[in-house]
Amino acid sequence: MTGDTSPRADDGSTAVENVDTVAVAASTTGSDGGSVTAARNRRWSWAGRALSTLFGRPIVTGIVAIVTAFLTVPVLVAFVSSFAESGSGVLPTGFVTLDHWRQVLGFGEYGVRQNAIPGLTYSLLIATGGMILNVLVGVPIAYALARYDFYARNWINTFAILPLVPGLILGIAFIQTYPEHGRSSLGLLAGYCLLKSPYMVLTVQSSFQSMDLVRLEESARSLGASWPRAVLTVIVPQARRGIVAGAIITWTLAAAEFNFTHKVASGSPDPFAMFLYRNIATNASYLQSAAAVSVYFLIVVAAIVVLQLLGKRGFSTAHQ
Amino acid sequence: MSVRKSATASVRRIATLASTTARPTTERERERRRIAVLCLPFFALAIVAGFVPLAMLVRISFAEDTIWMVGWSFGAWETLATTPAYRRVAWNTLWFVGLATAVSVALGVAVAHALEKYDLPAERVVVAAVSFPIALPGIVVAYLITVLLGNQGVVTNAIATVTGASALDLASATAITGLFLGYVYSLLPRATMVLRGTYAAVNTQAEEAARALGASRWETFYHVTLPEIRPGIAAAAILTFRSGLAIFGTVLILQSHQVVTLQIHNEISVGSYAPDVAAAIGLVYVVFIVAFTFVGLRFVDDDAVEV
Repeated sequence: MTGDTSPRADDGSTAVENVDTVAVAASTTGSDGGSVTAARNRRWSWAGRALSTLFGRPIVTGIVAIVTAFLTVPVLVAFVSSFAESGSGVLPTGFVTLDHWRQVLGFGEYGVRQNAIPGLTYSLLIATGGMILNVLVGVPIAYALARYDFYARNWINTFAILPLVPGLILGIAFIQTYPEHGRSSLGLLAGYCLLKSPYMVLTVQSSFQSMDLVRLEESARSLGASWPRAVLTVIVPQARRGIVAGAIITWTLAAAEFNFTHKVASGSPDPFAMFLYRNIATNASYLQSAAAVSVYFLIVVAAIVVLQLLGKRGFSTAHQ
Repeated sequence: MSVRKSATASVRRIATLASTTARPTTERERERRRIAVLCLPFFALAIVAGFVPLAMLVRISFAEDTIWMVGWSFGAWETLATTPAYRRVAWNTLWFVGLATAVSVALGVAVAHALEKYDLPAERVVVAAVSFPIALPGIVVAYLITVLLGNQGVVTNAIATVTGASALDLASATAITGLFLGYVYSLLPRATMVLRGTYAAVNTQAEEAARALGASRWETFYHVTLPEIRPGIAAAAILTFRSGLAIFGTVLILQSHQVVTLQIHNEISVGSYAPDVAAAIGLVYVVFIVAFTFVGLRFVDDDAVEV
């Protein structure tokens, strides 16, 4: 029993857990050790193994299978049926037609006649602007939080990595505060940047945390580089993977940001989120919505592929 | 006397701090300037795009004339405090998001556990399936729920074919269960992401020791694994709950439950235009989210936090 608890206490103190949890963990097993052996003897005598040992793993695996199906099936069905002629019935029928894609993108003979390409381009440009602004805003504060220890650091950290104001509220407040510029591209850009900055700060911060920042900075400084030069030409390039990953995540999320856009967007050209909304909520057919949503799926898949090429596990801000 | 003296002293100290930060002479002061310079862009953006609009929201909630935003009145706050409908909206939001959070975190524990401990046949597929929905906005999630449970939904039609009932009667996408699944669809991936990080730091030796000493799988999980992942569960619950409170697109499309975001949207819609009430609800909502997050994060480890 004592041989069991002592290595745990050692490992627990090096792990992320706080001291309380380790104490709780140690005390539960401490009080539990005797009863476990007694229970084991009893169980061996009549059943051989506990129910959870027999069925625990199949049940959990079943739950994981159901969750995976729940998350993937609608995406796959939507994508596949965007190429189908009919969506009634259990499975879509009549492949392959590009009619819905044409309609959604504005080249169809009926349905939404508006050409969607200018809106898409506009939206992607705004997202790119927000992304660039995010690099300029997010990388410095991520470096300050990772490198230095200063007054109210923890509070600033929480503030920078959590989206504290929901997009809906920010949108309403924005157009009232800046009646002239709130509905402009600049307003959208600033809003996207603020709403998505936590993803940038977290991704870049986890990249910085894996580096020995003090040593890097001091080596560069002792070799004669000024502080700005040491940061810009030595440290920032080292974190480029994190910065690029953060840029892709913020870009993708900004491209389809709805809650803020819905309140702020002025109509022409239509941002991508409003294009999705128009194709989902207002008198668009089921299959047409499928095609509209699939346009965004393609964007997300492209982003995830690039992120994986950069060594990230999809939309995760953690450093690998 | 002493109050004035200490006030003058602190003003002088702040002035000295500002001047040495602007024109540093020692290395310590230079470091302070560097920190200030690095944090400056973020705070400039936060003030222009965040704090000033929020201050404006306070002003709107006290405005007498809601078109020109002039005059002062407590009307909006009185309406908010005296109308029972608003209390019902608050209760609706809290139990609904709370339940969705509980379900998402519980399922997230199962998924993170399986991904970390088991040798799953299609692990990459599960990881991709769990991370993909994080990028989806609420309106797309609402559409995906109609793909499953709508009038033309896959599940609806499959059940209709098997049982012979009408698909229109079975469709539940715009019922409250459909909305609930939509919330879980958005929240489960976030909860799982946080919990995967926690599971990566779990001490497996203790679990192996417990198993070797004869504990069953459930006993090992309950007495050894669960205490170790408890901070992660708390962090996941906090982040999931606050993400759930911010969901708007899903509920705007499915419209089956009056939660706070939908109420705010209705207050500024044509027909019932009351921006002062919307601003007041919005302020209560933001203050609640901020307070909840900061109070909640006091009790968990900072490293477990991920968006």
